[in-house]
Amino acid sequence: MSLKSYQTMVSGCHQFGAVRQLFSKRTKLFMNMLCAALLAVCLQVNANGLDGPGNLPLKNASLKEISLSPPVEIKGVVKDENGNPLAGVSVTVRGTKTGTQTNASGEYSLDVPNSKTVLVFSFVGYEQVEMTVGNRSQVSINMKQASAEMEAVVVSVLGFQQRADKLGSSNSRINATDVLSSGETGLLQGMAGKASGVSITRSTGDPGAGSNIRIRGANTITGSSEPLVIVDGIPISNTEIHGNGSSSVGTGVVQQSRLNDINPNDIESIQILKGASAAALWGSRAANGVLVITTKKGKAGKLKITYTSTYSFDEINRKHPLQKNYGQGAAGRYSATASTSWGDKIADRAGGDDVTTGAAYFLGYITGKKYATLASGSASNPHGGKNSTANYVDQNFDGIFGKGHYWQNAVSLSGGNDNSRFFLSLENLNQQGIIRDNSDYIRNSVRLNSDHSLGKYIKFSNKAAYINISSDRIQNNSNTAGLYLGLLRTSPDFDNTDYIGSYFDANGVEFRNRHRSYRRYRGDNVQPIYNNPYWTIFRQNATSKVDRFLVSSELSSNPIPWLELILRAGIDANYDKRIYFFPVGSAGERSPGSYRNEKISEVEKNLDLIGKASKNITSDLRGTFILGGNINDRQREILYAEAGNFLDDITLQNFVLSADANTHVINSIRHVSSNRGYSTLGLEFKDQLFVNLTGALEAASTIPKSFFYPSIDGAWQFSKIPALQNSKFLDFGKIRASWGKVGIQPLPYNSRTTYETAIYNAYDDGLALTNFGGGYRLDNAKGNDDLNPEIKTEWEVGADLRFWRNKIGLTLSYYQNKVKDILLNVSLPPSSGFTSQYTNAASLENRGFEADLKYEIFKKKDWNVQLFGNFNTNKNTVTSLSGTGTVDLTTQSVSSRAVEGYPLGVLWGPRALRNAKGGFALDANGFPQLDNEQGVVGDPNPDWRGGAGISASYKGFDFNILFETFQGGDISQGTKSVLYNFGTHADVGNEISLTEPLKNSAGVTFPAGTVVRGNVGNFGAGNVLLDESWYTTLGGGLGSTSIREFFVEDASWTRLREVSLGYTLKTPGFKNATKLSSVRFSITGRNLAIWTGIVGFDPETNQSGVNNGFGTEYFTNPSTRSWLFTLNVNF
Amino acid sequence: MKKLIIIISLIFIGTSCTKVYEGQNVDPNNPTEVNAETLLKGIQLANISVQASHIQRITGMWMNQYKGVILLYQGLGNYSISGEESNGTWQFVYQSIAKQASIIREKLPTNRSYSGISKIIEANALGTAAAIYGDVPFSERANNNFPVPKFDKQLDVYAGVQTLLDEAIADLTPVSASAVIANDIFFAGKSTTWIKVAYTLKARYYMETREYQKAYDAAKLGISATTLSWKFNPPALVADGDFNLLNTFIDQRGGYMSTTGSWLNDVLLKSGQAGNRNNAKTNEDARLKYYKITGTSANTELGVARKDAPMPLVTYEENLLILAEAGLRVVSFTEGLTQLNKLRGVLRTNLGLPAMPPTGGTILYTDYVAADFNPGGIENPGTLTPDKALMKEIVEERYVSLYGTIIPFNDARRLRKSDNDVNVPIPFTTSTATQHPERVIYAQNEINANPNVPNPVPNIYVKTQVNQ
Repeated sequence: MSLKSYQTMVSGCHQFGAVRQLFSKRTKLFMNMLCAALLAVCLQVNANGLDGPGNLPLKNASLKEISLSPPVEIKGVVKDENGNPLAGVSVTVRGTKTGTQTNASGEYSLDVPNSKTVLVFSFVGYEQVEMTVGNRSQVSINMKQASAEMEAVVVSVLGFQQRADKLGSSNSRINATDVLSSGETGLLQGMAGKASGVSITRSTGDPGAGSNIRIRGANTITGSSEPLVIVDGIPISNTEIHGNGSSSVGTGVVQQSRLNDINPNDIESIQILKGASAAALWGSRAANGVLVITTKKGKAGKLKITYTSTYSFDEINRKHPLQKNYGQGAAGRYSATASTSWGDKIADRAGGDDVTTGAAYFLGYITGKKYATLASGSASNPHGGKNSTANYVDQNFDGIFGKGHYWQNAVSLSGGNDNSRFFLSLENLNQQGIIRDNSDYIRNSVRLNSDHSLGKYIKFSNKAAYINISSDRIQNNSNTAGLYLGLLRTSPDFDNTDYIGSYFDANGVEFRNRHRSYRRYRGDNVQPIYNNPYWTIFRQNATSKVDRFLVSSELSSNPIPWLELILRAGIDANYDKRIYFFPVGSAGERSPGSYRNEKISEVEKNLDLIGKASKNITSDLRGTFILGGNINDRQREILYAEAGNFLDDITLQNFVLSADANTHVINSIRHVSSNRGYSTLGLEFKDQLFVNLTGALEAASTIPKSFFYPSIDGAWQFSKIPALQNSKFLDFGKIRASWGKVGIQPLPYNSRTTYETAIYNAYDDGLALTNFGGGYRLDNAKGNDDLNPEIKTEWEVGADLRFWRNKIGLTLSYYQNKVKDILLNVSLPPSSGFTSQYTNAASLENRGFEADLKYEIFKKKDWNVQLFGNFNTNKNTVTSLSGTGTVDLTTQSVSSRAVEGYPLGVLWGPRALRNAKGGFALDANGFPQLDNEQGVVGDPNPDWRGGAGISASYKGFDFNILFETFQGGDISQGTKSVLYNFGTHADVGNEISLTEPLKNSAGVTFPAGTVVRGNVGNFGAGNVLLDESWYTTLGGGLGSTSIREFFVEDASWTRLREVSLGYTLKTPGFKNATKLSSVRFSITGRNLAIWTGIVGFDPETNQSGVNNGFGTEYFTNPSTRSWLFTLNVNF
Repeated sequence: MKKLIIIISLIFIGTSCTKVYEGQNVDPNNPTEVNAETLLKGIQLANISVQASHIQRITGMWMNQYKGVILLYQGLGNYSISGEESNGTWQFVYQSIAKQASIIREKLPTNRSYSGISKIIEANALGTAAAIYGDVPFSERANNNFPVPKFDKQLDVYAGVQTLLDEAIADLTPVSASAVIANDIFFAGKSTTWIKVAYTLKARYYMETREYQKAYDAAKLGISATTLSWKFNPPALVADGDFNLLNTFIDQRGGYMSTTGSWLNDVLLKSGQAGNRNNAKTNEDARLKYYKITGTSANTELGVARKDAPMPLVTYEENLLILAEAGLRVVSFTEGLTQLNKLRGVLRTNLGLPAMPPTGGTILYTDYVAADFNPGGIENPGTLTPDKALMKEIVEERYVSLYGTIIPFNDARRLRKSDNDVNVPIPFTTSTATQHPERVIYAQNEINANPNVPNPVPNIYVKTQVNQ
């Protein structure tokens, strides 16, 4: 390096100084350190006088020997354990810079100084081999794949490969095979239970449904808790955009996670960077952790073809128990129009055909049956016109849910030569959900990854994928046109089969295509109140068609051996076309028909230019310096149009079906840009002590000033100290510590108060300004022009240990983080004229412990049994909300909230009134009363989570089992509460004979011996009768008029997440006979068993979907369990 | 090599620059400036919701005019209510009305029509808030200088509302009666009509503060014909968002609320029931039918919950009944009777509606004469004095005629304090109740964010200042 270039670099540092003025004082110090580090590298480089390859001044001990002997040419072939040639293996002369790489056939040739030369063969993912040349001219070796613990390679946030053993920050790696073996069609769900500190919560079992992923607890309150996802060096969209067409969060349909678009077969590895220090280079988007996903690369050599086919059978895994004893009605009397099933006892009915009256009737299209007016019960005849003793509970249920299945076919081709390699992959996934119709998910993806060497110094790689998804979803949750709501509220004596037909009024006038539901048994009205579930699945649509392009291109150059320059650019463009269609007669405000068409486009562009210099500064000190810049640009555009009040009962999904006055359009645009400069200085001392310093300076369109994100981490491999080096017990020991700062960007467009159009809706009776010729209202959210990013500061300590000849591997981490300046809509007193302001207001902290264990129980020639497990605990506390009482994360009557002094997400809702001693303040009848003030009723955060399993293999067989557990979190059971009120839950269908006189909540005393419908309860003042009067008031129901606290229960679960058995055929005889290299058959069970106290549904479901709120369930579509059969063929 | 280093340095320096993003954070989806005239319609719609939506229905159930049947409304009807139920209404009063009205007046300082109309609506909203919640923010409301407004005493709020109405009248008086304001969905800006509305509102609030002479005087200048009543006439043109609020509510919350089982429906108006209002001069058949809400099926509602049925805000009927009650109190028996008969005259003509409602029914409201109120007369079966008997009838007529507004709730509490002998004997909606509600609970959102909310938060049985 010439003096001139050195001066340029120094002047670069000075120019840096100009930028420094932007920084705060604290960050100046760090920048000075970075500048100093930069100078140190420059000086060292200058002193060594490196100017290019082939001109190596060598300063070590072997110098003498080299001068004494003539060079000898050594040739050889490097192969893997299976005898396949390995291309790209680095072969170097120990202690020098002399080296080469193997070609596509695994061959190399190298001139070495003499016979005492030691060759070092190294290749990422394989154990390093050292070999003395001796008097050989041929040195061929077989390299062994490194086990996960040994020399595990991780991918940094910038895309560089690093040895895990040298890192000061913790990270978890999930192998692609582990994701594939889960049997999940979505990448996200496939990661569940496989890494400590990573919690993945699915929203429902619907095909394609998104999942909530959270790393080390919550880091923000109302912002997104989703980690930053980087695929092949490019950040991609992982948002679940709720959009306008599907009501609010927690109602409507479940949206997809964009991360699930990626074909799991394409993935090489998934790296989860949990701590702040590993993520700090990504600045204000990295506070929730980073998922670094690397897709497969082509390998040189002969064409390798892999074909995988999986067929899965899915079924519902938990059902709500329903009663079959009592009919529709109230107060023990039958009523064909009642909402509840507190009617007559079905067994007491006369039997035979029902007695109908009047001329009006409904003609069912499915069975051709006629349904005329049924008289209600009376005091003398509680059954009214109802004679039939049939119950339809199972029939109604089984008509909706059946066996789901999917078939996934994936083919990949890989090959190439020294200069060009490619990986081509195709996938088709066709999933039909357990709901019998209109619940599906079809994914087609194609990927071509290629890399080329252009001459000696330049490499070019290109990774591109196109993904196409089409899916139809079923309405669920708090939604009168949803599936479960109508199904589970249906009275046991009502047959849902004839969901559609003609209504003939008393004059014989026919109304076609009427919707028949249990509350409209004659279809005499276009409004069914609640949907018949058949209508939900057969007549309504909620389709989503996604086109997605992911492209990542990288140009890298090694102009000199210690310097690498990378130019990386990428685009993630995805287009989601959604349609929601409710034909005339769907429940709720959509009864005149509703057609909603939404187009969502998201484009993210990213450009990085990175320089990386690595060099030995002295023989004991090695430095790596990275300097980079990034430009990122994200644009989202949503165009939404809806049409209501259909001109006729048309099912064509097009805007022709409404008059112009009944259409409505919403357009929303979002554009966020940012740029970053970043730098890392890594130092390795004696291959034992490792220190990394990083810093990123970022500016973004959403923040008025620049922000600086520093981090530092260090690791010490103490097992390398001489006293421990020959320990028979400890093979490897490392302690590590890290500290870092990361952020979360504010949402755009909050700096000014805007005007909006409004709907004035005090309780489901809105008046829309647009329907009155339009107008505006100053937004109730007050603008804020002084927004800063949320800042998370985290420190972490940990240890990585391996014992007994690497049989046991243990990783331990303890972390603490504080997040301050959390952005949220702080409630303002409405009387001030505004109801909220988006501002940096809150703070929270997390403390947690994580452990990952692997234990190789034994490893023999044919046998290999391994035990693995992970454990983590996270304690979260919302430390301040700046005086805002509580912040809603979800909006239902039991909501998940942020409450000062409590963990984020605590459940908040109607409670029972307490007396001074903390017991229930009971009324005169011995029943609890409703507390007028709501409060915390539960905490959905678990005390701890863990996963454990065994993987074993014997000859060609392999076996894998994984349990996962979640202990100590609560869930609010909204469905149960409402089904109690409606009288359809099995718990409220009991008939008991009283053994003592008991009072009910209305104060009526029932003498001993009375046979009543209900249960005996005791709230502390002796036994009471829980009957209709209790369950339909404070003891059940929705809204804030029942004591919802009673329906919050411990949601702890343990599940058999997956179990699989496979057999691989790759014997030489088989290979010869079939010309195939291997065939594997496997059978996998997914989610086969759950042990939990929660009845009726899988406590892992989450009503609010991909959202910070969790721990609530309300008519959420059910989860599934599956059996999968997989065939994998390698040609 | 040199070049590369320069490039790297330049990237680092050239990036992380905020200037390039100037202007990019301006919301492209919502305007930051609008003409203040466009805010008027919003405050008018918000006020409809304040006066005739959720809170009106709750008080109506407490007045036993509606019946809460299932789920939330069953609980609400049985006096079980939390602050959540007030969130919408409270926000509309302060954010959607008071705040917007202040912007209108700030940005249109010389436009008397906008100033006057906005003040009347604001006075109506705040007057309602004071009536149902008691002490509420008034002097520091919707003002950037007061981030946490204090709560003014209920009587001070009523006084402030009267001042606001006086100002509105002063603003509007010079405005030509033919001036047209297209953004006014009620009276198209007709100043003379708005002035009459303002006077009736003044009279309403004087009634609540028991200043009967002032009430009588104001009502004399108040609404003078059914055609001048302030009502929401739903266009009912679009699928939702412009319907009668009861109708929309029934459509979305079928079965929640009905009139079947209410005392007004099942007893007071129904012939044959003990204590019903029908007599030789009166047949409530048509009114019973018009007031009926089945509550399960929006599109079969034909009475007050029909999709385009008008919803009363401030009416000629109310004005007449203020003149009747206040007239009886401060003028004479004859004045009270005269005004009551005027009201009966209105009822004789299609129940005061532009045309006979499709619910049909018999109408009979013959004028009463003084003898009808003598002991033993048809309106005095017992031995009340004629004044008391007439008062009882006027009060009951207010309970029936002002159906659909919060006035029956205000009357019940006002009379319970001072004239409980003539009060309407409204039965409890649930057998376990022992007292009638005296207020609605403050909005939870205000409780959460404003330390000035009275602490402890008064429950529904705590009387407001004016009724203590």
